[in-house]
Amino acid sequence: MDLRKLYNSDWFLKSVFAVCLFVILVIAGMTYRHIQTLSHSTDQVVHTYKVNVELEQIISYLKDAETGQRGYFITGDSLYLDPYLINREKINNTFASLKELTKNNQEQQENLKILNQTIEERLLNLSQAYSAFLKRDINTPEFKNLFLRGKTTMDDIRAQVSSMIAIEDKRLKGRRDAYKDDLRFTPIFLFSFVLLTLILLLIAYAKIQDDVSKLKSANAKLEIFKESTNQSEIISNHGNWVWNIEDNFFEYSDNMYRMLGEEPQSFDSTIENFMTYVHPDDVVKLQEQVDQMMVDENLPFINYRIIRKNGDIRYFKARGQKVSGDDYRKRVIGTIVDVTDEIQNLVVLEERNFELERNNEELSAFNHVASHDLQEPLRKIQTFLSRLEEKEKDNLSDAGKKYMQRIVTAAARMRLLIDDLLQYSRTNKSDQAFENVDLNEIFENAKLHLSEEIKDKKALITSEDLPNGLVIPFQMQQLFTNLLGNALKYSKEDVTPHIKVAYSKIKSTDDSRLDPKKSDYYHKIEFKDNGIGFEQEYADKIFELFNRLHNRDAYSGTGIGLSICKKIVENHKGIIYATGIPNQGSTFTILLPHNKK
Amino acid sequence: MNNNIIHIVLADDDEDDRLFFTDAFDELKINTKVNTYNDGVELMDYLNTEDAGLPQVLFLDLNMPRKSGMECLSEIKRDNKFKDIAIAIYSTSASEEDIENTFVQGANIYIKKPSDFKTLKKVLSQVVTINWQYHTNGLNKDNFLLRL
Repeated sequence: MDLRKLYNSDWFLKSVFAVCLFVILVIAGMTYRHIQTLSHSTDQVVHTYKVNVELEQIISYLKDAETGQRGYFITGDSLYLDPYLINREKINNTFASLKELTKNNQEQQENLKILNQTIEERLLNLSQAYSAFLKRDINTPEFKNLFLRGKTTMDDIRAQVSSMIAIEDKRLKGRRDAYKDDLRFTPIFLFSFVLLTLILLLIAYAKIQDDVSKLKSANAKLEIFKESTNQSEIISNHGNWVWNIEDNFFEYSDNMYRMLGEEPQSFDSTIENFMTYVHPDDVVKLQEQVDQMMVDENLPFINYRIIRKNGDIRYFKARGQKVSGDDYRKRVIGTIVDVTDEIQNLVVLEERNFELERNNEELSAFNHVASHDLQEPLRKIQTFLSRLEEKEKDNLSDAGKKYMQRIVTAAARMRLLIDDLLQYSRTNKSDQAFENVDLNEIFENAKLHLSEEIKDKKALITSEDLPNGLVIPFQMQQLFTNLLGNALKYSKEDVTPHIKVAYSKIKSTDDSRLDPKKSDYYHKIEFKDNGIGFEQEYADKIFELFNRLHNRDAYSGTGIGLSICKKIVENHKGIIYATGIPNQGSTFTILLPHNKK
Repeated sequence: MNNNIIHIVLADDDEDDRLFFTDAFDELKINTKVNTYNDGVELMDYLNTEDAGLPQVLFLDLNMPRKSGMECLSEIKRDNKFKDIAIAIYSTSASEEDIENTFVQGANIYIKKPSDFKTLKKVLSQVVTINWQYHTNGLNKDNFLLRL
């Protein structure tokens, strides 16, 4: 796991290359050292041979001198004496070079000193022999003794030279051994280091390969993303810009050009060029914001307009935010959205709202007229009529009395219409407060309200226990009153009206007309009567405004009462419907949401 | 009980209504003295004169020019010297809003002008014979509007 982590870390490649570099440096260092050692030991060999040659040379010169002298002694010819005379000088030269060659070796220097003494001794011996020969006392024992001493001295020199050569050889051998040891391990080291480097390089290669393929797939994804961004920009009518803060240059997306009514990348993406499209009234505002953005490196929401070359005015909304990328470069990335349609819709909506408000005002003005101004003259007509009836009735002809009765009826009907209409329009008000009340109490109030009619008709009203409900109390009372009143009004003449009120709690799934989203449970309240009923085909019509199934002469009414019921139930987000069977009765069902959701 | 005359005042800008009002009291067999005023300003001028005999019951129309019944009501209720006057609102409309407002302002009863002379007489006789002490103590929003 950790290895994988290491492999994937940014430092991996760097570390591998650092190690490789180090190893190569080590290899170079070792090779250099090795070559140094090699050349040094070659020098050593050369040096040893040089010393040995010089030493042999000395013996050779001495031998030449000796041989030359002996030749002279035997022949008396001074021609043989040349090597003896010249080689003295040569021996000195060789000796000097030997001294130089062995200057770093204390032991050989000592040996050289001894050799020097012995050589001096031999040379002295030679010159003594030469003097004796010149004095012609060769057959003396002194001369023979001198010769013998020359031989022993020569033997000493040979021995000394041999030992010196032996020392040089020994040193050379020691160096060779050390060098051999070096040589034995160095290749193994070098080889293993090269191998290690190769392995590391292979891993690095694999990693690079891996990274490259990842990069490729990331690039491919990026390409796809870019394309999808392009498309979504076109669909949703927005564009993007990037402000590279450090280099202070802008990049605009293709669609940003299209939003300005131009071909993509058709002009340089500078702020100055963009400003030429901005609506003259908004230029100052936008420029201020842009200047502020240059300081804050952030652009809050701003709305402005632009004008396309063809004269179209578009509404833009923009915003920008600073983003720091992986490359540690600061950018402000911004988005521009064309909100023209939204704004135009808003304008339309506002106009409609305004119109609606005006309509409402007119309606409430009408309400006032209906409630007050219309009622007043009607009330006076009715009052004067009652005065006439009371005071002047006897002064009227039969026809006059009949006409007056007609006027009274018409006026009463007008009053009824006005009252019902008012009631209906008041039911419109949906800003009434909902209260949690006992529906039984409300039902009792409704009954109380109709007590006179109930008494007149000798009606029998039975009701099941009703629940508490979150309702607009006075509207609910109005609803119950209207439904009860309706049942009383359309009762059969010869049968005692019996009105049954039933209650049950039902699930919203029990009735397809109910919306389960509003409430899981519904209150179901039924008003069932044994009245005249109605044809089922009129079940929906009876709730329509001014819709009546019966002639006015048969049953009084304005055709508003059930419309009010429907409105009240709808105010409570419920449903009302009716079922009827002619001459058997009708059932009005109210379904009200349980409000427990 | 001749000196037990009930003093009644009506402020109403409508001439017909003032006529119905006085006619009704003429026909009622109650010992009353009825004064009518054409609007709120006239009414308040009268009430504020030095030695004005204050009425027992004041009938107040709401919709009047110059000074509305509502304004008169709050002026009267602000002045302690009128505290014994029973105030009956006497209006064409019986909107929830008007009923609510006048109740809060301290009116004693709310009468919707009837559209029948007999009913009018019945209402007026009922109102002037109310035991105001008793009525005011038990006053609530439900019995504030006079129902017949």
